[in-house]
Amino acid sequence: MLEFFSYDFMLRSLLASILIGATCSIVGVFVVLQGLSFIGAGIAHAAFAGVALAFLIGSNPFILAIIFSLIMVWLSGVLSEKGSLNLDATIGILFSLTMALAVLFIGLMKQYNADLYGYLFGSILSISKGDLKVISLISFSVLLLVRLFFKEFHLLAFDREMAEASGLPARKLFFLLLTLMAVTIVMSLKATGELLVIALIVIPASSAYQLTHSMGKMMLISAAFGVSASILGLIASFYLDIPSGSSIVILLSLAFALSVVFSPKKKCSARIYQRFNEEASKKEVNPNE
Amino acid sequence: MNKPIIEFQGVTVGYSNRLAFYDITLKIEKGEYIGIIGPNGSGKSTMLKTILGLIKPIEGRISVFGMDTNGACKFRSRIGYLPQKEAIDPRFPILVKEVVLMGRYSSIGFFNSPSKKDKDIAFKALSQVDMEDFVDEAMGHLSGGQQQRVLIARALAQEPDILLMDEPTAGVDVETQEKILDITCKIHKDEGLTILMVTHDINQIFPYVNRVAYLNTKLYAIGEPKEALNWPPLARVLYR
Repeated sequence: MLEFFSYDFMLRSLLASILIGATCSIVGVFVVLQGLSFIGAGIAHAAFAGVALAFLIGSNPFILAIIFSLIMVWLSGVLSEKGSLNLDATIGILFSLTMALAVLFIGLMKQYNADLYGYLFGSILSISKGDLKVISLISFSVLLLVRLFFKEFHLLAFDREMAEASGLPARKLFFLLLTLMAVTIVMSLKATGELLVIALIVIPASSAYQLTHSMGKMMLISAAFGVSASILGLIASFYLDIPSGSSIVILLSLAFALSVVFSPKKKCSARIYQRFNEEASKKEVNPNE
Repeated sequence: MNKPIIEFQGVTVGYSNRLAFYDITLKIEKGEYIGIIGPNGSGKSTMLKTILGLIKPIEGRISVFGMDTNGACKFRSRIGYLPQKEAIDPRFPILVKEVVLMGRYSSIGFFNSPSKKDKDIAFKALSQVDMEDFVDEAMGHLSGGQQQRVLIARALAQEPDILLMDEPTAGVDVETQEKILDITCKIHKDEGLTILMVTHDINQIFPYVNRVAYLNTKLYAIGEPKEALNWPPLARVLYR
């Protein structure tokens, strides 16, 4: 185990994994509860198109990825509000468009670029000191904002109309949430890759959903799943010499399967059914009650 | 005469493809309990959302607490709103106490956590609807009627001056319907709240309300329950 910690690049990867695992899985709770998983996949595609354009014109991949993903997520939000199309149809269109742009930009490149494909499949071991600083800054900012607006996001996720009716600026909060999603995905893109980042958003939150009836606890459990799988996946990839992204997602999927099997919600359903039967039989015995 | 707490002046509201209701003029006094009846799609729910300022009128003016609904964000915290039950996802992971405490969020403000006073107000609201024994229960474990009572408690926790209820008795058994109506009647008497309740079951609300409004894309009539029963438009509105 000590060998693992003796390399600087492994320590950087480990820290990045923890930060990305925690941030993605906490933001993922809102994504899962509001049914925005597809938007996450759309953001990842848009960000990849931005990265491809950056490699084509020699610009900063991170900045263009942020610009593309924010345009995508805000446009999705605005179009869905207009009510002319469902959110999933809107994202479906933008999703295809951004992927087409990514393919176009790659096609226009005169030579093969290995770094670009790193963004597609992820390369957590290549995280530099600069990357780690950016990941740390964004992670702390996103987590701080989630903490500050927790109760408002909670109400928004439960019922947006009720949030608006209570006098909260529901629209602004929804767009803030979309922005946090976009920023979190772009931050994670280099480490996890475009294809696997959505797994870190959706799977830990879906697993936590099986285990609790409270959104606050769901966040803590989701973060525990996200961080544990990221650490263990990285260690497994080091010792077994397998791609880290795959090992993390396989571990997350395994945790999800176990959560479904051992979900206390099943027991609750049985308990409620038993209570219902008991009450019904009492009424039969004493109909005047 | 007192200034009305809610006033519609020639209000027309519509969506992109149809009119919800048109040319409504109506005054509601403080402390009144109004039942709004009419068939599906008659604009009843839209009327409540218009009062909240969630939908803007095409024509006319609505004032609430003497203020135009264009500045609704200033007074929304004074209006308790119970949406239709279908709006709530029963699988959402949330406890009863968390739902009721949400009624306090607009008063608590950004960046603050609920204080002991907020928790006490939420618990009192839960007691008003006889649901205090379910405080730590998951919302998804409750029956439809119990969920509805929790949502009424959430609206009461807001300590509102006006309570808007959209079909609070829909989809629950007769016993629970009576319980919900008794609770709202008690709240009306004890707290002096102005209540607007939307329903399509005319018989349910007659013993409770001060006035009944018949809405079917236009306001056919408004008056006391007894006289309203004899109105000729009633059959047209309800059985068309």
